[in-house]
Amino acid sequence: MDDFQIYKSYQRLLKNEDLSTPLAAILALTEMMEQSNAGTMFELLTELKGAAEALSRQSLNPIGLKAGCELFIEFITLFPHDAASFSELKTELIRQGQRYAEQALAYRAKIAELAFDFIKDDSVVSSGFMFIDWHDEIDLHIQILTHSYSRVVLQTLLVAHKRKRISVFVTEARPRGMGIKTAEMLTAAGIPCTVVLDSAVAYAIDKVDFVLMGSEAVVESGGLVNAVGSNQIAIIAKAANKPFYALAESYKFHRMFPLSQYDLPSHNPGVLSFPQTMSARARPASSGLPSKASSVLSDNGSPIRITQEDIARNNPDVDYTRPDLISLVFSDVGSLTPEGVSQYLVGMFAG
Amino acid sequence: MASDPQSAANQRIVEDLVSRLRRRQLVGSRATALETLLVLRQVVSKARFSNIDQLVNIIRSVGRRLVDAQPKEHSVGNTVRKVLHHIREEYHTANEQPAAESSFSIAKFVLQGQPRKQATIPSSESRVLLKENDPDDPDSFARVLKPVLMEAIQDVFDELETVYDNISKNAKDHIHSDEIILTLGMSKTVDSFLKAAAHYRNYTVIVAETAPSYGGREMAKSLSSAGISTFLVPDSSIYALMSRVNKVILGAHAILANGGMFATSGSLLAATAARSYSTPVVVCAGQFKLTPLWNLYHEYGALDFGDPSAVLCFDEGDLVDKVDVVNPYYDYVRPELLDVFITN
Repeated sequence: MDDFQIYKSYQRLLKNEDLSTPLAAILALTEMMEQSNAGTMFELLTELKGAAEALSRQSLNPIGLKAGCELFIEFITLFPHDAASFSELKTELIRQGQRYAEQALAYRAKIAELAFDFIKDDSVVSSGFMFIDWHDEIDLHIQILTHSYSRVVLQTLLVAHKRKRISVFVTEARPRGMGIKTAEMLTAAGIPCTVVLDSAVAYAIDKVDFVLMGSEAVVESGGLVNAVGSNQIAIIAKAANKPFYALAESYKFHRMFPLSQYDLPSHNPGVLSFPQTMSARARPASSGLPSKASSVLSDNGSPIRITQEDIARNNPDVDYTRPDLISLVFSDVGSLTPEGVSQYLVGMFAG
Repeated sequence: MASDPQSAANQRIVEDLVSRLRRRQLVGSRATALETLLVLRQVVSKARFSNIDQLVNIIRSVGRRLVDAQPKEHSVGNTVRKVLHHIREEYHTANEQPAAESSFSIAKFVLQGQPRKQATIPSSESRVLLKENDPDDPDSFARVLKPVLMEAIQDVFDELETVYDNISKNAKDHIHSDEIILTLGMSKTVDSFLKAAAHYRNYTVIVAETAPSYGGREMAKSLSSAGISTFLVPDSSIYALMSRVNKVILGAHAILANGGMFATSGSLLAATAARSYSTPVVVCAGQFKLTPLWNLYHEYGALDFGDPSAVLCFDEGDLVDKVDVVNPYYDYVRPELLDVFITN
């Protein structure tokens, strides 16, 4: 199976709405193993590493996928076996990979249940009996802020909606605008829901009880890699003293230790670069405010339009949220403090 | 089963503890933990069961009754959970299946980390076989398991008995000569911790009197009788004195899963004052106070309220009708305000 093919099968697997990138990567690797004719463990591992490399090279945002590949390859390396022949071992490993992907689909439900316990009860809000008159109006709705689109957040909100009264603020999450998708699905499920601008989070935060965030990956420091804008929401939540909860299935734990935004593998020189020609031309632009927000007259009088695509091209897809901004990480292995995540990573990769 | 005389005796001792908890004749987390353990020991020794589920159910139902009697005494629930844990553990070691190694999967890999290279010890040791639900001899299961369980409970008991000594063991590493320590309330743990340090160090303790229970007065008396130079101060001067204090040492009522704690009211005041002077706050508490409970929203209702007459006496009849008097036993102290926990 060549590099192109494995990316093809990865993309095909991703069409399944339920599969997240790490799981799709694991399944793509099992497909590759099925076709591989490696005769030894060493050959197989070399092939797998090559395939993982190829996948992350071709993907725009390889973080989640890398987490899945690393987990699977590490597992294969350490798999204790007493199989008689190598082909037998290989089928066993393929079976393991597929079974895990199957099992892992149930993790979201598990996380939803776990996170549900942390959504405070209406009844508790009003039980501060002697302080009732301090609040002029007691809002019985629990107001949750979420960002972009995440399957596990969606499932948690749906579970919470069945048993508690919640309403949700969803950020638009530009440039991909996935927040709209979340809002549509929540509204369809009958959950009161409002889309807020990414720039209006600080305005909305006082109404919010807590922030619920999905994730692309949780890294070794306990920090979070997620759709761009998560970091600023976390900073705002911290400033407003609101809990910031991250939801992540354990296959999203990724052995990486970014020290800044620019250490993420998705960072490339194009992000936040200054387009040379444009700045040179636009500098002596007409004084005063431009008549249209998005068009500026250049020297020779022709308008320069900055399109959404231009902006998106120049901007990151994901950002990194520091662990000190995160209250708790809910995952299928339990509700962890951000530092608790590294315990599992060390167990797997450095035991 | 209710008809049989042994379970009736069990009922009686459980009810006895329930009513003492409810009437607050029994307070304090270590005392309640000890009493709970005694009751559980009785219950296990008298209980009749022929499989593990029955035993667990018996203990659970007793535990639930005790917890319901006084839900704010978290150590009751903790003790019950601990005993249940030991019972399950003993049960599992007693009939362990050797073929557990082959079922390694990715999910397990994530959860437990790398597979250990330990060769499974060939368990040739003569082990009594546990037979559950033996129709001929329904008591055989209990007969085999009970001695092991009693031993396990005794272990928990010993741990509770020695808790103060174990916490105090490294007291001299935390308290240095000529330091000024602030504490409040009457906590036996802190008391023995400070006294243990006094063998090695010469230091001063400031005790806030901790109105309205005035546990601090008791504490000051106890410390000064042990030869520690002690000052008793009113609660209102905690902040003023904080600039001189090297360390704040507090006791806890319960330590929660997020690292916060319930502690004698006044603790929050001391912890907040300490934070503003960056004074370290040390908490001494036994492990039986660790409670799997979250107080994430800092609910005031999670606290326990005491008798208001300690604050405003009924003698002041005129006032009593006109004001609401609140006398919370405990403060909730946020995890951010605490620096170190010292446990056994």
